[in-house]
Amino acid sequence: MCDACGCDLKPEHTHDSKVVEVHQSLLAANTAMAVKNREHIEKMGAVAINMISSPGSGKTTLLEKTIEAIGDTIRIGVIEGDIETDRDAERIRAKGVPVVQLTTGGACHLDAAQVHKGMHLLEKEEGGAELDILFIENVGNLVCPATFDLGEHHRLVLVSVPEGPDKPAKYPKAFHSSQVFIISKTDLLPYFDFPVEEAKAEALQLNPNLQVMALSATSGEGFDQWLDYLRGVCRNRQ
Amino acid sequence: MHEMSLVQGLLAQLNELAREHGKEKVISVSMEIGPLSGVVIDSFQFGFDILAKDDALTREAKLIIESPPAIYRCFGCGREVEALQRPERCSECSETLFSPQGGDGLILRQVEME
Repeated sequence: MCDACGCDLKPEHTHDSKVVEVHQSLLAANTAMAVKNREHIEKMGAVAINMISSPGSGKTTLLEKTIEAIGDTIRIGVIEGDIETDRDAERIRAKGVPVVQLTTGGACHLDAAQVHKGMHLLEKEEGGAELDILFIENVGNLVCPATFDLGEHHRLVLVSVPEGPDKPAKYPKAFHSSQVFIISKTDLLPYFDFPVEEAKAEALQLNPNLQVMALSATSGEGFDQWLDYLRGVCRNRQ
Repeated sequence: MHEMSLVQGLLAQLNELAREHGKEKVISVSMEIGPLSGVVIDSFQFGFDILAKDDALTREAKLIIESPPAIYRCFGCGREVEALQRPERCSECSETLFSPQGGDGLILRQVEME
């Protein structure tokens, strides 16, 4: 029996084995597609924002109120990611902006290939090819979406007040891969133990470059800063 | 549990490599999974153990994972330390803010086939 591998061939045989050096990221295919998406969005003259949060943090509500507040001054388009149903897309469509629903059928995150498909579908919607900001609302999940570049220019992570302030410490990847951290549902602060300053400080420890905003889409508190940020994003695009 | 879909991607890549090099069996697969890659090594290994068994090519393949440390640069004094976890504070200036560099690799390094 061969000592090297336990096979039944004679000891003097040589295994024709070969070591191939690959040194390539498992995410290489996704990243290549993300680069294409980014170029495509830039050609359109738009900026893409990838929204990541747990389910129920208020991503869709924030988008609804943002579209209402911004009116026609900034042209918004939305790609919605969910495991099932087109309910979120229906809510956005009711606000009168181009939207596409992607259903992942069980997958816990969007990837660049899905978003690529979504962009082409969005272009078939009225106004979907002439945008200033493309929002990509990721599947509600604070873990998996953080690993996948979709071709966005800014990544935004949301945590709502009822979820508690310890999300940055528990889900670090979402926070160090983002540029913006939004604490949402601040109208509920009187009913929950959510020390805003502590949560901010903890997030900044993970990522000192994070821009942090606290807001309520219901009461409108903090919305001016958010809208200023969006206007800035549009002004500074290439 | 995005590790499963990442393992599926890895297995597809192994199939391509085997075809390209005319090999029928993967002996070992060396991966680098950094502490900031967002991938749980145990879950990745678990996914590999389950999915690799479904294919004659990878049924006996051994998965070797290395997790090199990230470099944390102090926001205060610029001192850099290598660590698997973010340091609490800088040993030079007591600053608590650091920016991590590297450590986010999810890289297929090497494949041994026969």
